[in-house]
Amino acid sequence: MPKLELRDVSKSYGEGAERLEVLDSVSLAVEEGEFVAIVGFSGSGKTTLLSLLAGLQLPDAGSVEMNGSPISGAGPDRGVVFQNYSLLPWLSVYENVALAADQAFASAPREERDARVRKYVDMVNLTPAIDKKPPQLSGGMRQRVAVARALAADPEVLLLDEPLGALDALTRGTLQNEIARIWGEERKTVVMVTNDVDEGILLADRIVPLTPGPRATLGPAFEVPLARPRMRVELNHDPGFRRIRNDVLGYLSAIRRSAPDRSFETDVVLELPDVRPAELSAAVRT
Amino acid sequence: MSAKARLIRGLSLAGLEVLEPLIRLVTLEEPGKQLRLLGLYVGAPFLAFLGFLAVWSGAARAIVTNYGTLPTPAEVWREAGNLARQHAESRAAEAEFYRGQEGRAASFEAAAARLEADAGGAPSAAAAKQIALLKERAEGARSRRYSSGPTYLDQIATSLETVFAGFLVASLVAIPIGILCGLSKVFMSAMNPLIQIFKPVSPLAWLPIVMIVVGALYTTDPREAWFEKSFISSAFTVALCSLWPTLVNTALGVASIDPDHVNVARVLRLGWWTRIRKIVVPSALPLIFAGLRISLGVGWMVLIAAEMLAQNPGLGKFVWDMFQNGSSQTLAQIMVAVFTIGLIGFLLDRTMIVLQRLVGHEAPA
Amino acid sequence: MKTWTARTRRAGPAPARRPGRLAVTLLLGVAGMACGSGGEGPPSGAAPAPEASAPAVVPALLDLEKASLKLGFIKLTDCAPLVIAKEMGYFDDEGLDVELEAQANWKVLLDRVIGGELDGAHMLAGQPIGATIGFGTEAHLITAFSMDLNGNGITVSNDVWSKMQENDPGLASPTPRHPISADSLKPIVEEYRASGDPLRMGMVFPVSTHNYELRYWLAASGIHPGYYAESDTRGVIDADVLLSVTPPPQMPATLEAGTIQGYCVGEPWNQQAVLRGIGIPVTTNYDIWKNNPEKVFGVTREWADAHPSTHVAVVKALIRAGRWLDASTDNRKEAARILSRQDYVGADYEVIANSMTGHFYFQKSDKREMPDFNVFYRYHATYPFFSDCIWFLTQMRRWGQIAEPKPDSWYHETAKRVYRPDIYLEAARLLLAEGLIEGEEVPWESDGYKPPTGDFIDGVVYDGRKPVEYLGKHRIGFKDPAS
Repeated sequence: MPKLELRDVSKSYGEGAERLEVLDSVSLAVEEGEFVAIVGFSGSGKTTLLSLLAGLQLPDAGSVEMNGSPISGAGPDRGVVFQNYSLLPWLSVYENVALAADQAFASAPREERDARVRKYVDMVNLTPAIDKKPPQLSGGMRQRVAVARALAADPEVLLLDEPLGALDALTRGTLQNEIARIWGEERKTVVMVTNDVDEGILLADRIVPLTPGPRATLGPAFEVPLARPRMRVELNHDPGFRRIRNDVLGYLSAIRRSAPDRSFETDVVLELPDVRPAELSAAVRT
Repeated sequence: MSAKARLIRGLSLAGLEVLEPLIRLVTLEEPGKQLRLLGLYVGAPFLAFLGFLAVWSGAARAIVTNYGTLPTPAEVWREAGNLARQHAESRAAEAEFYRGQEGRAASFEAAAARLEADAGGAPSAAAAKQIALLKERAEGARSRRYSSGPTYLDQIATSLETVFAGFLVASLVAIPIGILCGLSKVFMSAMNPLIQIFKPVSPLAWLPIVMIVVGALYTTDPREAWFEKSFISSAFTVALCSLWPTLVNTALGVASIDPDHVNVARVLRLGWWTRIRKIVVPSALPLIFAGLRISLGVGWMVLIAAEMLAQNPGLGKFVWDMFQNGSSQTLAQIMVAVFTIGLIGFLLDRTMIVLQRLVGHEAPA
Repeated sequence: MKTWTARTRRAGPAPARRPGRLAVTLLLGVAGMACGSGGEGPPSGAAPAPEASAPAVVPALLDLEKASLKLGFIKLTDCAPLVIAKEMGYFDDEGLDVELEAQANWKVLLDRVIGGELDGAHMLAGQPIGATIGFGTEAHLITAFSMDLNGNGITVSNDVWSKMQENDPGLASPTPRHPISADSLKPIVEEYRASGDPLRMGMVFPVSTHNYELRYWLAASGIHPGYYAESDTRGVIDADVLLSVTPPPQMPATLEAGTIQGYCVGEPWNQQAVLRGIGIPVTTNYDIWKNNPEKVFGVTREWADAHPSTHVAVVKALIRAGRWLDASTDNRKEAARILSRQDYVGADYEVIANSMTGHFYFQKSDKREMPDFNVFYRYHATYPFFSDCIWFLTQMRRWGQIAEPKPDSWYHETAKRVYRPDIYLEAARLLLAEGLIEGEEVPWESDGYKPPTGDFIDGVVYDGRKPVEYLGKHRIGFKDPAS
């Protein structure tokens, strides 16, 4: 039985003339311990997809199931790492992570929860900064706190919404390695949404492309059988990596080209003025 | 952080950044630049103030009222000195009263003792009565309290107490309602007409109603009451007028919480109360404090008017009483009150700014 | 001016507390007693030479129900008895801690006494009466002490004064003949009426002595000051002149602004007008009714019943204060100095001293000796006479504040409810026993009614025993059928 499953899910916003159908008949099955990367264009509905998986929104059609039963809302069993970190700036690193730990393990004694928090802060290598507040941290550090927070609640599934999208390229690289390392330690089920194919290949077991919207749907999956741990530098020389990369990118650009960009479709017919330059030769002038 | 850096940070927190060049000057950091900055941002206001004093002096001589000419700055300063001196005298008299109290009681007791000694243990009925009376007087002398009207500084203290009481009541009412308004659009639309109607009402219109209601409901024996009716009336009027900025700002702050924070709460399934405590209130805190600051300012202004009518023994009553005197110092005294009110209002505002900065936080990236 | 002997006290510079005089006396008395057996002790007071064999009779301290009092007053010079009682230590001698608090206006003062925030207050004579019969806020108030006689003046604007002078050339001299009636005002009143904008005058409270005196003065010359009715309590029905309530400190300003053309008020507001050149006092209430009752010390009946001994103690102190005030001109000067403190009346000393020391400026050029401008003790001023109360009741009926005709018996009964000479006499008896007053200063045998008197500006005779008949003697005003 898949850990997390989307069955024929559709989602749209708005009513009547403004109705926007974002997702149409999306199906996805994620097995336990699998790392799935969903790759797609900007604005194709990646965040909506993740919201549905998290339970922050409910689908219009179809169902979202976890462990076989439909989910009814968000919960710490499906931990989320938001694109904008969403750390509470008035709480320190410890307190932010503790928010999750205290909530998910409310019945445990204080020492246990404290140990939990420290373990995960340590896992993301932030112990020296454990008492600092988010405004004092860099973007990369903040995202690490977000990861620690999500993990501290011991989720069954971890959902990452373009987690490294707001970071500069160099930090991205570092954090990609971090995520790989952490996942190696904990082996949770992960669904990550990203617009970076390389990132997907680096981290995931399977890459599923999302077609461009509106009415986006998931394309065929691309397996990533590359051995772990995957080192970024070496991967560039790996033919397997390059092949998968080309396949995915090829698929995406083909899809892009063939999908009519309906957002520009309009029924209005414009009469364009017929502009022809005037004859400026002396003969015409009267 | 070095002491200097800490000092500069403290100044910045207190809103006194203009004094920063002074610190830097003392440590001889770029003296030329510091002097220039000081000249501009400290010198200019100082000169403006001197100019104001000059214009005032001139106008004072020129305008003649039935109470004489308007008081000059020097006269107002002198009057302020008078008020301070009267306060000191009153305190001294009080101290002297209490010092002498024991002596007075002792003299009664000595007289009683002498009578007893003379009667040798078997006083006659009349003498016994005398002894009892003398002892009673000694008792009475000991329990006497110094009673006199409040001095100017007492009145300032009363005004401050009243405004804080009213401000506290206003905050206790406005913040919870504001939070509810921010959380629920339905609640907000229900409250909105009431807010819009009552917000613009002047304290002078509220006060008679408040006084009547307080008079009817507050029926504790004045001897045992902790608070006087005039205090309660003034404080409630201040509360009624100053709760609106806090309420509106709190509602706004709560309604404009970053949706990501809300999502965090949803994912973690935080309980309603935890959500309020850890996410809603801290997130809205900067706006709440902005509202509190405005409320305190409004409350202070309203207080003076309320005190005049409700007879609370504070600055408002001082102004009205001095006006009733119609003496030649009346105008100077009222001007002292004007400056006192302004200065205190400024200090209150400053304090709120400092609190606001302490509580404020940068939005996360 | 009759001067009372001996017991004056110099006030100290700041309110320093003096050791109780009684303590000094007791020590001396005890010393005396040690030398022998009983007899009349030396009267307590300024330290006398101890007599060898005279023990002091220690006066019993009254058993006070409440020692800490807050009393209210309005910033007018006739709050003097309260102020002097505190400053001279008379309240101290009774074991009372008294805080005197200035009130914003008569209404607030009345409300606070009724509400219990003030134990008692300096009140207009009409206030306890009006409140008890239910005109205005209703509450049963009583008074056991009359604070003073006379003390008010009627001031008109410079403009009105010059017109009055036109009507009566006799007024044009720098020292015109007094008393000045409203006869020369009458043509001016008609002139204003004809122009559609009646003359306006101010007084301090609907049941104030000023209101009734002003009306009496106007009516004596045939000017109608207006009626009250149950449905219309402004008091301007059928009026030739419109009378309205103005707080005393605002009177000079409103006179100058032209909002009113005259007012009737106590001091220092008439002298203020002269000093600042904004108006002319044309008459004082001494001229309208010689030695008329003015202010009283009022408390609620409830309070008096709950604090009988405290009440007597307060009255004792007030009687002594009144006595001190009338003892000498030096005392009056001292009183003026004390009253000019900003916590009390606060006006400049010069302004207060005039009337206090028996001079009154009718104009800057016309300073008159008026030794009885303020009377605090002479002529039995402090005794609460029923006939005084009844006069106010008749005036209330005359102008319609009392809406229905009442029989004589009603007047007598009401007076007995509000005025309490019994409490006054109790206080006086104690003071006599302590040797602080003389026997002839108190009308012990009085039944509460002064003999009939014609000392009014229009000569009409007032007999307190026949109020309804008195009503009938006036030209203007409600008259009731004889009862």
